[in-house]
Amino acid sequence: MDIAETRHGLVFVVAPAGRIDSTTSEALEQALTKAVDAGQRRLVVDFDGVSYISSAGLRVLLVIAKRLKTQPGTLVLCALTDAVRQVFELAGFLPLFLVEPTRDLAIARCGANAP
Amino acid sequence: MTTIELQINRPGASAVTQAYHADELVVGRSNNANIVVADTSVSRRHARLVCREGRWFVEDLGSRFGTRLNGNALAGTEALHPGDEIRLGETVLRVEHVEGAAQAEAVQAAPLSDNQTIFSVLKPASELMHVDEPGVQASSRLRLLNDVHRALAAPISRETLLQLILDRAFVLLRPDHAAIFLKRPDGELYQAAERRSPQSTGEMLMSRRLADEVAVKGAAALVFDAPLDERFASESVIASGVRSIVAAPFSDAEGCLGMIALCSNMHARRFEEQDLELLVSLASVAAMRVRNIALAEDAAERRVIDRELALARDIQMGMLQRRSLGRSDVDTAARQLPARLVGGDFYEFQMDAGRLWFIIGDVAGKGMAAALMMVMAQTLFRAIAALGLPLGDVTARLNRELARDNQRAMFVTAIAGCLDLATGRMALTNAGHNLPYLLRRNGDVEIVTAANGLALGVMEDATFPLTELTVAPGDALLAYTDGVCDAINPARISFGTEGLERQLRLVAQQPPDLIVNSLFEAVEAYAGDAAQEDDITIVAIRYHGPQDETMA
Repeated sequence: MDIAETRHGLVFVVAPAGRIDSTTSEALEQALTKAVDAGQRRLVVDFDGVSYISSAGLRVLLVIAKRLKTQPGTLVLCALTDAVRQVFELAGFLPLFLVEPTRDLAIARCGANAP
Repeated sequence: MTTIELQINRPGASAVTQAYHADELVVGRSNNANIVVADTSVSRRHARLVCREGRWFVEDLGSRFGTRLNGNALAGTEALHPGDEIRLGETVLRVEHVEGAAQAEAVQAAPLSDNQTIFSVLKPASELMHVDEPGVQASSRLRLLNDVHRALAAPISRETLLQLILDRAFVLLRPDHAAIFLKRPDGELYQAAERRSPQSTGEMLMSRRLADEVAVKGAAALVFDAPLDERFASESVIASGVRSIVAAPFSDAEGCLGMIALCSNMHARRFEEQDLELLVSLASVAAMRVRNIALAEDAAERRVIDRELALARDIQMGMLQRRSLGRSDVDTAARQLPARLVGGDFYEFQMDAGRLWFIIGDVAGKGMAAALMMVMAQTLFRAIAALGLPLGDVTARLNRELARDNQRAMFVTAIAGCLDLATGRMALTNAGHNLPYLLRRNGDVEIVTAANGLALGVMEDATFPLTELTVAPGDALLAYTDGVCDAINPARISFGTEGLERQLRLVAQQPPDLIVNSLFEAVEAYAGDAAQEDDITIVAIRYHGPQDETMA
């Protein structure tokens, strides 16, 4: 799994590509943890290139959401494909996250919502 | 840069006089101090000599036993003059000469060239293995290697091996002090063994630069007259009164494992090039054995981990009962196949006052972390289901326990249910899990749209909507974890709910164990040689209708 990282002002965008399963989710966890450790408080995870996410991947997002809740900070997810959205929905996770259809909207939301 | 010249008097060692070109010098027991004194009454960072505006001062750094200047306890920062005596524990530093910034220009005027190394001889260890040598030395090297090889014929521990290497080094090279440093997995060197002659005092002082040259770059090093080399002014080696050093890497084809270093003090002998050659030979033999011991240890460690995993698997499989409930009104079957030795899927059936409680769950992730969470979830369900609460409360309570102190945000998707065997009324809660199926007596396969709640363990105060249905005698409930649908074939196409439903329609009217087994076989046949990526669990419950238990 490739993970692209870009910065838009104060907003840090992480865009994984491929399948996020119990093996590849570790790389995503590392990338996101590193960003939060480095002081990033406005994070966007762009799912445009993600074809599949397993519950292990959901757990990673949950960990980061929890950390940004206490820090505090903002996490916005965007561009969820139907398959990915379904996994979030199935686990009852959609209400836990801020979700936007596009990266631009996510960045805007992240900026507006930040503490 | 300014200069201060100190005569260093250590207990039990001859005085050493040394000029330091610096603006600040920390004195202490720490190897990172500029002037290292190996004296237990000295703190790690004991005192500081500092030059301000061309004048030298001394101050205590909060040492345990304090610093004295000319016999008086030091109060704050005091100026230094030639002839002053600074006492730290048993060690006395006598100020011989001080130079302010103006005079220091003279020192800077003749800088050492950048490529001048601190080592008088520094060459690849491999070169030293093949030098032409005079007969006497050749025979002594041969004898050494024979000795070592003979001693190493039997398996020995790392400690014994290192002591033996030091033994031989002492006999042959007569150092004052010798130490072996080995590399940790992260590449850091640690002192694995040391030995000193009775006259030798002080710690083995390891110059970072020397370690880098020898243990990292694999060079063999011979340093003559260390105190005379100005480059040592900033190196802690100088303060120990070392006159010469010889060091060789422990390297083999795989890389460098560590090094051995021998020091000789002022009053003792000076090492020569033939000493270096002997040490390189000794180190190469040592390297081979150290590597073998490390490999054996790794293998032993892996065996321990494998054994523990196998034990964990036994315990986990033991928790997942497969025996029949032995009832005539209901029939259950379940099967699980973890993707690794242990897994995060679980299920449970439990009878209580005419009701069958059941759960099927899937911990996010797989392997040992998931297995530990699974054990907790299953055990909690057993205990909570036995309390006689309504299903909604049971699930909420299970969730609360799992969410508490859940730092790693582990969570569990689960279908929990309770079937009243007298009436066929079934209650279900769905904590973010795959929807189960109802297999009708007539062979129809219906999906049960159990109202979706949040996965267990995410939020302490989550509540779970209840779904109620009635199962008729002959109907069966089938629940599974996503390892079934996510199973992929060699072309990486998943089995999917389509595959599952297709197979279910074929076996809907079979007894539960046949349904479960046929589904497993279908998934395995579909996956072929593709690796199993997730734990797979399937449970089936067939209700036979109320029975007169006394007749059964």
